[in-house]
Formats: sequence, C-alpha cells, structure tokens
Amino acid sequence: MTPLLEIRDLHVAYGKVEAVRGVALKMLPGQIVTVIGPNGAGKTTLLAAAAGLLPWRGTVSYDGVDLRRFDTEERVERGFCLVPERRELFGDMPVADNLLLGAYVRRRNGSDVKQSLQQVYDRFPRLAERRRQKAHTLSGGERQMLALGRALMARPRLLLLDEPSLGLAPLIVREIFRIIASLRDSGVSILLVEQNARAALEMADYGYVLEMGEITHQGPAAALACDPRVVATYLGGSS
Amino acid sequence: MSRTTAYLVTIAMIAMLATAPLWVAEFTITLLNYIGIYALVVLGVVLLTGVGGLTSFGQAAFVGIGAYATAWLTTAQGASPWLGLVFALVVTGAVAALLGAVTLRLGGHFLPLGTIAWGLAIYFLFGNIEGLGRHNGMADVPPIYIGSVSLEPNSAIYYLIWVMLALAMLLVANLLQSREGRAIRSLRGGAVMVESLGINVFRVRLITFVVAALLAAVSGWLYAHMSRFVSPTPFDVRMGIQYLFMAILGGSGQILGAVVGAALLTVLTNALQDILPRFSANGEQLQAIVFAVIYVLALQFARGGVMPFVLQFVPRRRKPPAASGEPLPRRQMPEAGRPLLTVHGLLKRFGGLEAVSRVGFEVAAGEIVGLIGPNGAGKSTVFNLITGVLRSDDGTVNFLGADITNANQRRIARAGVARTFQHVKLRSSMSLIDNVLLGAYPRTRAGFVRGALRLDLAEEARARAEAQHQLDRVGLGTEAYDLAGNLPLGRQRILEVARALAADPALIIFDEPAAGLSRPEKAALAELLRGLRKEGVTVLLVEHDVEFVMGLVDRIVVMDFGSKLMEGPPASVRADPRVQEAYLGSVV
Repeated sequence: MTPLLEIRDLHVAYGKVEAVRGVALKMLPGQIVTVIGPNGAGKTTLLAAAAGLLPWRGTVSYDGVDLRRFDTEERVERGFCLVPERRELFGDMPVADNLLLGAYVRRRNGSDVKQSLQQVYDRFPRLAERRRQKAHTLSGGERQMLALGRALMARPRLLLLDEPSLGLAPLIVREIFRIIASLRDSGVSILLVEQNARAALEMADYGYVLEMGEITHQGPAAALACDPRVVATYLGGSS
Repeated sequence: MSRTTAYLVTIAMIAMLATAPLWVAEFTITLLNYIGIYALVVLGVVLLTGVGGLTSFGQAAFVGIGAYATAWLTTAQGASPWLGLVFALVVTGAVAALLGAVTLRLGGHFLPLGTIAWGLAIYFLFGNIEGLGRHNGMADVPPIYIGSVSLEPNSAIYYLIWVMLALAMLLVANLLQSREGRAIRSLRGGAVMVESLGINVFRVRLITFVVAALLAAVSGWLYAHMSRFVSPTPFDVRMGIQYLFMAILGGSGQILGAVVGAALLTVLTNALQDILPRFSANGEQLQAIVFAVIYVLALQFARGGVMPFVLQFVPRRRKPPAASGEPLPRRQMPEAGRPLLTVHGLLKRFGGLEAVSRVGFEVAAGEIVGLIGPNGAGKSTVFNLITGVLRSDDGTVNFLGADITNANQRRIARAGVARTFQHVKLRSSMSLIDNVLLGAYPRTRAGFVRGALRLDLAEEARARAEAQHQLDRVGLGTEAYDLAGNLPLGRQRILEVARALAADPALIIFDEPAAGLSRPEKAALAELLRGLRKEGVTVLLVEHDVEFVMGLVDRIVVMDFGSKLMEGPPASVRADPRVQEAYLGSVV
C-alpha cells in the first residue's frame, strides 16, 4: 500500500537552531499515528512544516506526490488539514461562520457544504447550540470542538492534530478521543501530537517518540506503551 | 562581520559625520541638516508607532507648534532662541498632553483618524492667525548663538543638529531598556495583560505620546532657526505621512532606523527633484506619483524596513549575565490560615446567559485551592471577575480585608494578586527576562526621566537579579535572553508563572498552568507550587489534569453550569457521585 504520508530526513530550522533533525515518519491510509515527547522536542514544528507553514529540508510526500508541488491552499483542497495547537479561531466571527470558512476550498459546492455543516453539528451538538455566538466567547473545550469541526468542514483525508486535549476537562477529553477514533473509522487518517501520551498510545496504531528534534523510539503503539523507557518518562507508574 | 570591524565601521561613520563640513559640498551639508531635523521627528514616531504601536499622522503639527512657538517668542518678543527652545517644549508638551488625553483612549483605526483630524486643524490654525503671519508665515527668525558664536552658517548649525540628534537617540535608547521602556514595548498586543501587571496603560501611552511630541518640538525649533522663516506648509498632514513613512522605511521599532529612513527619503526626494523635471514640466505632480509607487512597493516587499537587513551584518551583543544586586524587598505574607480571599454571591451575565450564578467560596492564606469543572462551567470567568478583567453584575470580592469588587485590574494587581492566562498572553518579540521584568514593574520605581538618564541602574540590577532568579526557579534561566515567542506553548505557560512570581504576590491565580506539559514537567511544576506554599504564598488554580490537582491541592471547589457544585478536600470530591457524573466520568 502507498503510504498516505511519508516524511524522510526532515530538517526544520529557526535561524541557526535546528528544531527538527532528520526525522523520518510514515503513515498508511486509515491509520492513527501519534508523536509524543517533551515540550520543545519539535512536535509542533514538525506538524507546521508538514502543513507548509514553515520552510523545511528533506522529503515529504503525500499520497505518493512530493508535497512541495502544492501550496497551502492546494494541500487543503487535497484533504490535508492541520488543527493548530492554539486553535487559531476567528474570534469576532460567529461559530457558524468559522465552520463555513473551513469549507472555503469547497465553496463552489453550496448544498454539499450545508450537509457537512449539519454533520458537524450532529457530531458536536454544543456547537449547534452556540452557532450564532462569537468564537471568542466560547469556553476552552468548545473552542477545541470548533477547531476540529472547522477542519472537518474541509472533508479531510489526513488530519494533523496538535494537542487536541489541551485544556479540556476529563469528560471532554474522553469525548474528543472518541471522536478521533470515530473519524478514523470513517476513513480519515490522523497524525496526532499529544501530551496525554497514555490516551494517545491507547488509540494509535503506530507511535513515535520525538526528543530534541530526533526520533528516539518508534513502534506499534501497543508495543511502545509497554517499552520500559517510554513508560518511565511519559506514562508514569500508576494507571 | 566581527565585533572589531563593527566598531571600526561605527567610528569611521562618526568621524565622517564630524568632519563633513570640511570636505563635502555646501549643498550636502544642507541636505544633512534636513536629514538630522527629520530624523528627530522620526525618532519620536519610532518610539510611538514602531515600538508603542500608536499610529500618528500628526507629528508634523507638533513640529509646527515648536517652530511657531520659538519664532513668535524670538521675533515678536525679541527673546533669545534658547528661551525659544524652552518655550517650544512647554507649549508643544502642553498641547500634546491635552490632545493625548482626548484621543489616546481611542482604539483601533480611530486613533490614527483622530491624529489626522487635529493634524489638519493645527495646520489651518497656523494659516489663519494674524499674530503668526497667516499663510505668509513669519520671517526674520534670529539665528542661534552659542556664546558669541553664531550658528547662522549651515555648517555651524549642522553640529548642533547632529549633536542634539545623537543625544536624543541615546536618551531614547536608554529609555527603551528601562522599566518604563519595557512598559512601552508591551503596549502592542492588548491592554488586559499589561494592566493585570499593575501597569497604567493610559499613563504609559500618554507619556510616550508627549515624549514623541517633544522630539518633534526640538526639530521644529532647529528648523525655525536654521531656515529663519516659518510658514504653515512644512507642517501639513502630508508631511506627517512622510514622517510615518520614514519610520517604516528605516525599520519601525529601530532607533537607528529613524536616521536611515529620514536619510533615504530625503536623498530620494532630492534626486527626484533633479531628475523628474527632465521628463515632464509637471515635475512636482510626477514626484507625488513616484512616491506613491515607492510607498506601495516598500509596504508590499519590505515591510520590515531597511534596518533588519543591516542588522544581519552586525554582531549580536551578548547581554551580560544578570547583575546580582540586593534582592528586591518582599511583601510581608499574611499569617497562614487567615482568610485571604472571600468571594460571595458572585454573578455574571453575558446577554441572557448566566455564566456565573451566585458563586461563593473562601481561600485562606497559605492554601492551594483548585477550581475544577467541565469546560464552559465558568471557571475562567470567575478568575476574570476576581482579577478585575470583567465587571460582575452582583456579589462581592474581598481580598486581605479590603473590598476589591469591580476594582480595576491595576489596583487588584497592586494589592497583591498575580495571575496567568488560559490563553497565554506574553510579548513574543521581547526576551524571556524582559517579560518577567514586566511582572516586577510594581515593585520598582524608576520613571521615564530616570530611565532615559540611566539613573536607574542600581534598581535595574536588583530587578534583573530578581527576574533571573524567578526564571531559574521555573527552569528557564539558561534561555533568559531568547525571545519568548520562540518557546513552545507549554513553556510559555511556565514563563507566565515566572512573570507572576516576579510580582511577589500574596495570591497567585493560575489558569491551567500544566496544560501542554509532559509528565516530568508537570511534576516539576507541582514541586514549585508546593515550594510557594511553604513561603506563605496562596495559590488558586484551574486545572484539568486530575492527577495533578488531586496530588497538590488542599481543597477543591467544583463548578458546573456557572454554579458551585460542591467544595471539600480532594478525596471527598473525587468520591462525590455528582462530580463523577459532571466532570470526571465514571472511570476514576
């Protein structure tokens, strides 16, 4: 099977400082692949580079095609969507408009977009209740739902999720992870960066540990979750 | 370029400027005089717009007020030009203070519009006052004398102009490195965070505005006595736009950019005046069009101006490690167990929605209290009500025996409440240590004048030592001089913690401090908070990591749908079925 996303020898630098050094990563269609690691390891940088928001060296191919051939808008058109760590919502716009902007690349197909909007509302009833409210008045959890919902409006094939559980209450965290699993079941592939390593490894197919800009461990998620070094550093003793 | 080369280049440039009248043409000196006079105004624009983020199109009007003030005093009253300088500064300062008080409360695009309005008004005023010669202007302004030396020749006033410019640049550079300078630098990017540190945003804006106007007044004074004639034309809003553009062209926010921008535009104007008449009889109109094209191209392709390009070649000066001054005086912590914060019947409505309905709780000195609840339960709103970011509709907040209900953020901060934000609020283009120093603002005194004259060095060293100490404490000490924006999000939260600590608060309110931290980092944070408790600091925090909260806090308040669900020690909260259903879920 052709990998959906394949990264080889990726280097990303801020000025002279290399934040990502020679990273290789591969994911097959329909997989959830997770990247875990400490703060400053380069996880967010890795996602931002893959999404075309930062300059990089190396090879990134998406569905067998060199990603350099597409600009950011074309990537989104081809179903390659990033949900950034800071959510980056349009604060002064209502929830509904934030969602519709997510479907900007599909704007020529009105009825289709409406249907997607309804699907997002079905998935996140909370957003339907608040559809007329401005995004900056939302609580932390609602913002994350909106960010995720906005990405879904683009009909993604590959979702890059940066810390989707950040700032969420335990119940909502479980809800978000449930949604991520159901997205996978509906055929969306997911590259997941997550500080909540336990939950991430539980649902992922494959995992990478990124430390100081380099991949230090990798393997099937279930195996990683038992690797004593990973357990000691990222999962902690108690469960 | 090595550091030695950079020094040599600087010395060579100064030597060239100092000896210029001996070897360059008379006309070049005139051009250099204009460059110096413009650069003084642009220096003010750099401070006001480039650094402080307050866009003004009206600086030309302040130049005019300075020029007219000295022209009137020295011709109609026959006073000395030096008295004219004092008079120009006083009049311009007073007008700027008045205009600033009226317009600086305007936000967004209303402020620039306001500056255009009074820029136009002042220009027309000059042209219609009999005593100021109407549109004909005032002639026979006397030259400046130093002792018996006349500065009438261009090559003589040249020295005065450039010495004054150098002096002004030095003072502004000092100011920007001082306590108030950091406050000016923090103005860009929203007032909530700045006010939460006890900084009076309006005061800082107003003084910055007056400082910029005073620089314009000095420029006007020099102009009046150099050209010995004033008329309204050079003080038009169009000139105000040019000053702004010079600042942008030079590199907004860069002190040296003021000179570079002024020089570039002056030389360019001069060249166009030579060239364009060869192509068309309407050279002046053509010049306006050429400038318009240059403006658009520059804004499109070189928004950062020339300076960032130049700075690539200049070696970065490594700051010396923080001076180990005597520590800043610390507050007397309230006696443990005594009620510190009492919230009673707090109510907040957003439209028809009750975001917080009659919430009340107490925090005793020396406690760590956790506030938990589902997203949207109103926890952050409660924090914003306590710290004065939002006004409550009913209820009271009492801190250390004083009623702080709906007091402004600044007063609450100065009473001893520090906070962090759910959505990190830092100044990403400032260094870590400068961000933390902002937190120490209320504990230090040095004002604008002391900062500009570097009379604040002892206090600065102490504040810097304090900031370095807090950075070391949270584990960011080795990165003190990196830019805050380069930190990953999780560490930015930790930086906010250091900034809050630098204020030496009695109560710290943390909004999700552990979000985005890995396990070892969370453990370190918990250790830090326990250390604070030992020092007598009280902590109130919102956090979703249940393990983190349960292992740390003395007591928990649970909120759901804007109301308090319950409160108690961690074990009983964890066991409570209502809490499990609303927040934890069954699997805990």
